[in-house]
Amino acid sequence: MEDDRKGSSEWREFFWNPRTHELLGRTAASWGLILLFYLIFYLCLAGMFAFTMYIMLLTLDDYKPTWQDRLATPGMMIRPKGNQLEITFSTSDTESWDGFVHNLNSFLSPYNDSYQVQTNDECTPDEYFIQEDSGEVRNNPKRSCQFNRTILEECSGVWDRFYGYDKGQPCILIKLNRVIGMLPGKDRQSPYVTCAAKREDSDKIGLLAYYPPNGTFNLMYYPYYGKKAQVNYTQPLVAVKFLNASLNTDINVECKVTSNTLAAGSDRDKFAGRVSFKLRINDK
Amino acid sequence: MDIDDHEITIEELEMRYTTSVDKGLTSSFAREILERDGLNELKPPKGTPEYVKFARQLAGGLQCLMWVAAVICFIAFGIELGRGNLTSFDDLYLAIVLIAVVVVTGCFGYYQEFKSTNIIASFKNLVPQQALVIRDGQKNQINANELVVGDLVEIKGGDRVPADIRIITSQGCKVDNSSLTGESEPQTRSPECTHENPLETRNIAFFSTTCLEGVATGVIINTGDRTIIGRIASLASGVGNEKTPIAIEIEHFVDIIAGLAIFFGFTFFVVAMFIGYAFLEAMIFFMAIVVAYVPEGLLATVTVSFTSTITSVCSTSVICSDKTGTLTQNRMTVAHLWFDNHIHAADTTEDQSGQSFDQSSETWRSLARVAALCNRAIFKPDQEGIPIPKRIVVGDASETALLKFTELTVGNTMDYRNRFKKIVEVPFNSTNKFQLSIHELEDPLDLRYLLVMKGAPERILERCSTILVKGQELPLDEQWSESFQTAYMDLGGLGERVLGFCHLYLNEKEFPRGYHFETDDMNFPTSGLCFAGLISMIDPPRATVPDAVMKCRTAGIRVIMVTGDHPITAKAIAANVGIISEGSETVEDIAQRKRIPVEQVNKSEARACVISGGQLKDMSSDELDEALRNHPEMVFARTSPQQKLIIVESCQRLGSIVAVTGDGVNDSPALKKADIGVAMGIAGSDAAKNAADMILLDDNFASIVTGVEQGRLIFDNLKKSIAYTLTKNIPELTPYLVYITVSVPLPLGCITILFIELATDIFPSVSLAYEKAESDIMHLKPRNPRRDRLVNEALAVYSYFQIGAIQSFAGFTDYFTAMAQEGWFPLLCVGLRGQWEDVKLQDLQDSYGQEWTYSQRLYQEYTCYTVFFVSIEICQIADVLIRKTRRLSAFQQGFFRNRVLVSAIVFQLCLGSLNVNTLGYFLFRVQWWFVPVPYGILIFVYDEIRKLGVRRHPGSWWDQELYY
Repeated sequence: MEDDRKGSSEWREFFWNPRTHELLGRTAASWGLILLFYLIFYLCLAGMFAFTMYIMLLTLDDYKPTWQDRLATPGMMIRPKGNQLEITFSTSDTESWDGFVHNLNSFLSPYNDSYQVQTNDECTPDEYFIQEDSGEVRNNPKRSCQFNRTILEECSGVWDRFYGYDKGQPCILIKLNRVIGMLPGKDRQSPYVTCAAKREDSDKIGLLAYYPPNGTFNLMYYPYYGKKAQVNYTQPLVAVKFLNASLNTDINVECKVTSNTLAAGSDRDKFAGRVSFKLRINDK
Repeated sequence: MDIDDHEITIEELEMRYTTSVDKGLTSSFAREILERDGLNELKPPKGTPEYVKFARQLAGGLQCLMWVAAVICFIAFGIELGRGNLTSFDDLYLAIVLIAVVVVTGCFGYYQEFKSTNIIASFKNLVPQQALVIRDGQKNQINANELVVGDLVEIKGGDRVPADIRIITSQGCKVDNSSLTGESEPQTRSPECTHENPLETRNIAFFSTTCLEGVATGVIINTGDRTIIGRIASLASGVGNEKTPIAIEIEHFVDIIAGLAIFFGFTFFVVAMFIGYAFLEAMIFFMAIVVAYVPEGLLATVTVSFTSTITSVCSTSVICSDKTGTLTQNRMTVAHLWFDNHIHAADTTEDQSGQSFDQSSETWRSLARVAALCNRAIFKPDQEGIPIPKRIVVGDASETALLKFTELTVGNTMDYRNRFKKIVEVPFNSTNKFQLSIHELEDPLDLRYLLVMKGAPERILERCSTILVKGQELPLDEQWSESFQTAYMDLGGLGERVLGFCHLYLNEKEFPRGYHFETDDMNFPTSGLCFAGLISMIDPPRATVPDAVMKCRTAGIRVIMVTGDHPITAKAIAANVGIISEGSETVEDIAQRKRIPVEQVNKSEARACVISGGQLKDMSSDELDEALRNHPEMVFARTSPQQKLIIVESCQRLGSIVAVTGDGVNDSPALKKADIGVAMGIAGSDAAKNAADMILLDDNFASIVTGVEQGRLIFDNLKKSIAYTLTKNIPELTPYLVYITVSVPLPLGCITILFIELATDIFPSVSLAYEKAESDIMHLKPRNPRRDRLVNEALAVYSYFQIGAIQSFAGFTDYFTAMAQEGWFPLLCVGLRGQWEDVKLQDLQDSYGQEWTYSQRLYQEYTCYTVFFVSIEICQIADVLIRKTRRLSAFQQGFFRNRVLVSAIVFQLCLGSLNVNTLGYFLFRVQWWFVPVPYGILIFVYDEIRKLGVRRHPGSWWDQELYY
């Protein structure tokens, strides 16, 4: 007990010693000095950090990242996008697909023909739209090719306001991730998307329709020059319409891009050059 | 010792134990007592069960933290698994590694504890098997464990004494008490009570000692655990095993680390909960912070490479040393001779390299003749090749000394004795106090007999009427008597054992050839002899000891002699080796010099003090503390091993870290109590060795001092090693802090941290153990265990908030570089965490507008781990270079002198790049190794500036704040 009391009074004394006016073993002057030292020390360190970061940023190219090897195979993604990669709805229940339609509408608004015609060029199909810089002179801003919403036809939402969701024939948009300088095909062969059901669901998937025809990402939309140089870049899309998918059952769908230049994605990345999602259409 | 069985008469003894010294106990009564007292065995004390000990090793402060972390990992893994996410095995690996670390370090700890607690095992083999007992007047051979108090037993040469025995009859019985007291000389056992202390009296033989020669019968007075050795055994196990200072230091350090880890972990747990993370996520942060902050590799490093007991001796401030064998050579040697009214000094060095005395005098020749002839000791045969001092001799210590002395000075003593044919001899006994023999002369024509005698000087002088001076026989008058007394006092004052020598030519008429000399009646003259001289012997100090004691002095270590020897001998040896320095006086010396009574002497004037066991018994512990405080030079003489414990405790009360040497079983309590128990490797008993923290292989005091020097160096280096190890915990911790607070993608993962802790940084931290001393460490005071901690505030603050901070900045610079080069600019990273870690988000835009899938981001994150890892490696190379010295410039210390350190750096780099190229399943760019280099240079330059300031301005603010 006595030891305890002695110990606690020692602690109290350590915390604040009224005789020497020491807080935690230091006087005010001592605290001031040591804090000043650390202030200077950390200011210098922060200065050095800022300086090295500045030097590092100077070495970077504004238009193209130094390394891109992580992105050898571009990722793929679908729209509409919910929290999960799941498209589940009932044809009769408007509320259940209303969200998807809104999502698609807002996603496709930059693709409106009027807007595209205003900002973007018409390009030669099946050819890369190369806009090289001539040495140090930047050829900026770079122009982009039009991707008109109407190319998606049935899935453009122009003629069918509900993208087929009300009829049980939903449209899914597929996009290929943007990668600066990526050339996804050669010999005028554009990469194209194919969708298929996973093994056990193959009889449920029914017929598919691709827009644009064959589900191609036309070469004229490549290469991408980065958001700084190519401000109005419009990412090409492929729409897949499920024409007569089985109702009231889960269908696991996988869409793949086929290209004669891009490496096939590794098994580790489930979204490199392919995308999987679950589709379920209920009739009630 | 509350025994008086040795003081009472035989009759009283018979009464007390209802026994008879002729017939022994009756069998039936013996059985009753056996039932009452139990078997005559040493019971091992109830120890802690082994599994509890092992469990304790697994439940230390840090270990508990790591268990918690491992459990959190398992839970996190379980939840991930439950969600069907089979890809993330990181948590599982992490948990397994953490548990492995705890178990492996636990095994080390357990092994060390196991080694040091085996004391009782060594008592077991001391117990005799069979004993000869007399019951009902019949001699029986029974198992020794069935003996009871009151039994009459018989022992003979070669037997182990089966219990504590009061001797009733004895014929030349001698016992070896070395296992009990460490005295190596055989002790006579006889029926008389010679001392009130049961340990000193001759009429008690102790359990487990060995009877060397002779026969004795005795009555058992104590059996089993109640025997003296049984009590010591329980005393030894009762004395708490004092933790070695280094163990205390490491515990202190581990407590701080564990405390801080919990503090940081908990703070950030609260912060994370407050920011709005889920409970499990916050727990994972807690776990990650614990993993980042706890130096996992340190425990293993320290246990493997530093906690050799040599480290323990570093903080020694007092050494309580035995005299015999440790400070001295443990062999009686002739030191001085007195003849022709002069004291001559003999050569006492171990290798006979010293000066000899003038041997031309005729008196010397006579003295040497007496010394050679009146001596029963003989060399064991076949030892021609061995130097004389090392030869084995049969005979007691003084005779051995004399034999070796004559062998060295006169030459072949055996041959010499043959030339003077021995007719008869009277061996030494305690009533006569002399030994004599009668020889024929060498010259066959001289028919006189020569009587030679040696013994206690005053007894010899009584029997002399003449004295030999320069070959002339002069009458022994008052004047000669006085000069004899002076010489005798002088030699005695040197603590030496003095013997007188005299001879007499027997008249050939009275004692013709063939005269029958009767040794019992002494039908020949034993007085009126001619005095030849005095020879004094001492166990001389080892040659290296005075230097070692001197070294202790400069190193601020106090040497206290604790011996069972006579105070005068003890004091003489102490003065000889420098424990009592030149010019230091005891109270008694001052009294003598000033010719005033002892009481009037101002005690503070006396630097030295000799306290005998008798005085010590009457002193209270306060008085002993007082004496130890007032007199820097202390000698304890005539002490029993029990008193050694008292002395040790007193020193410890005064705040010293005490090293104690000991060899006997009796010393084991003191050895255990001491901060550092040092057992003698050669003379030490097993019990002493088991109780000790350290074993001195050559029994030499100087080795202890070398040990202290080594220990201090290792302590310094351990400090450096810990400073090195602690530093990197900050750059391991800050990524988490920044990750939680600023929400950047995680810069450093737990597995990578463990790789740093358990692989790349182990070798450099061990290699610091091989660093040379920066300055003469033996000129510094011993560290104050309360103030000079292994890990002090300055060390932690400097490592954490300065070097650690620089390393963190280096890591973040490299991290942001790697991110920016891949397209993630620093400002974009801030706040990115939520999206970055969103498994569903497969098209996250970077600063260039490119889109990334989750896996692509994850690989980028792994790259960041590696980049951060590389930065820590580079900074740690700078760190190990600066930790080579604490005060000197690294240029003064030399970069390549510590080869181990250089190869450790190379090894670290190899292991690092191996990790980078194999573990990282992705490209790693060489230039990322170079980004943190400026910070490495900064660390080196900054520390050089710090050291320069510390050297240039000792005692300044800079020195106080920045020297660790």
